[in-house]
Amino acid sequence: MSIDKGDSSTRGGTGVSPASGPDSGQHLRVSDAEREAVAGRLAEHFATGRLDQAEFGDRVGRAMSAKTRADLSGLLADLSETGAPAGPEVPRGGGRQGSGPGSPIEFRLDAASGVPTYLQLVHQVEHALRLGYLKPGDQLPKVRDVVASLAINPNTVLKAYKELEVKGLAAGRPGQGTFVQATLSQVALPELTTLRRSLSGWLATADGAGLDADGIVALFTSALRDFYERRGGSRTRGGAASGGTEGVA
Amino acid sequence: MNVIEATGLGKRYRGTWALRECTLAVPEGHVVALVGPNGAGKTTLLNMSVGLTAPTEGRATVLGGQLAGSAGALDGTAFVAQDAPLYKNLSAGDMLHLTRNVNRRWDQRYAEVRLAELGIPLTKKAGKLSGGQQAQLALTLALARRPRLLVLDEPLAMLDPLARHDFMASVMAAAAEDGVSVVLSSHALAELERVADYLIVLAGGRVQVAGEVDDLLACHRVLTGPAAEADECAARLCVVHARRAQAQAHLLVRTSGADPSADPVPPGWEAHPVSLEELVLAYLRAPGAAALPGPVRVRDAEGVTR
Repeated sequence: MSIDKGDSSTRGGTGVSPASGPDSGQHLRVSDAEREAVAGRLAEHFATGRLDQAEFGDRVGRAMSAKTRADLSGLLADLSETGAPAGPEVPRGGGRQGSGPGSPIEFRLDAASGVPTYLQLVHQVEHALRLGYLKPGDQLPKVRDVVASLAINPNTVLKAYKELEVKGLAAGRPGQGTFVQATLSQVALPELTTLRRSLSGWLATADGAGLDADGIVALFTSALRDFYERRGGSRTRGGAASGGTEGVA
Repeated sequence: MNVIEATGLGKRYRGTWALRECTLAVPEGHVVALVGPNGAGKTTLLNMSVGLTAPTEGRATVLGGQLAGSAGALDGTAFVAQDAPLYKNLSAGDMLHLTRNVNRRWDQRYAEVRLAELGIPLTKKAGKLSGGQQAQLALTLALARRPRLLVLDEPLAMLDPLARHDFMASVMAAAAEDGVSVVLSSHALAELERVADYLIVLAGGRVQVAGEVDDLLACHRVLTGPAAEADECAARLCVVHARRAQAQAHLLVRTSGADPSADPVPPGWEAHPVSLEELVLAYLRAPGAAALPGPVRVRDAEGVTR
């Protein structure tokens, strides 16, 4: 684990001063500046994901209470100093998601859209399910991580996850997080193609009648709203887990 | 448990009442936005809540009935005053040392890890840090005391957009992880809508609006319709603020409850939902109006109570 120079001692390793030999200077006391330098490098390694949250906290604690060079030397021994890739590293998660696999998706917020924040999160999960970014069993982003990267109220995230639970799409596991439970019913590809063809036909007719793009959208939106209202006010097919016997709903 | 309770709270400086007849009951576990014009009494209210000032009349309690300023209250409350005050000639490490020694509860490891994560060096003098770093340092000192209530007086005023975002992200993370209740006063209305779930509007030293954001937004709407009918509509509804042009008028009204079917939209009029910003601005423009919790009695803009 340590990149020592053939020395079998358990405290071997390059520590803070790579140029020193096996035991020269290890007994020397360290200054605040040296402790800080190590803490700073630990922070970089944490940001790039080489350390998880618990390890980072532990090592910083040890760095701050280190008295001699020997105390500091083990902390960076297994972290490559020169192995950084040439290009910019994309920080993992919001830079702060350390431990575990994390979630396959990340949320974004459209502050100007007028759609309530919690609904935006719900829609993004449904969208991710449709596009295959999320599969049953995947974990949704942890509340703490969403809040730390978007700077929104934690109750908003909880409200969104509650809504997903009510829809049957997600389930919370106490102490672990919220996990995707079901998938949105997929429409088979041949059906999609047929639907698209008939839609193109309708669009040609509407265009021929003189409707412009905005007019078409307005007509469609109003008809869609009426359709759901007549169906009984619910926009979801009867339970997300039941495969769509009604086709596109 | 109510995290802040005020009963008839008032503060007079010489001849002027900075705050008067302030009665509040703020539930725990919320992020509370305190908004209002400059001079409305926000800092006075916050100072009394954390025990920095004694009230002239009434009383304030925190954290389930402990008198503001008492030992128990001080232990559980952390305050970051305006402009994140720090001793400019002390380093961050010194500030940690100092704060640890004047407080009973202190988490040194948490403070060190947070500062390392943020890239704030422990040896630099606080005055040499950037504005964003100073604000984060002040916040770290507050959070490392592991408070149940965090009070922030205009924390974002001097920060650039990125620093503002990162600061609020830190505060929200503390609320999510440790269940800290947060009260912050701010002018940044548009940003508050994302973070606040309880709203208090102060104007002219009095509480004008107090309640959960979701409830307030559900109980208000804007009705748009013919200007000629505006007066007749206003007579039947509780109008907070009206805007009229020649042909068209917008009335921001408060409904009797959250159920929209109980207050049908007058024929020929359209109803729109309101944003938090629009709601606050409407009340600030209508000093006679109020929306306070309790039995549903509200005063509309003309001062008529229904």
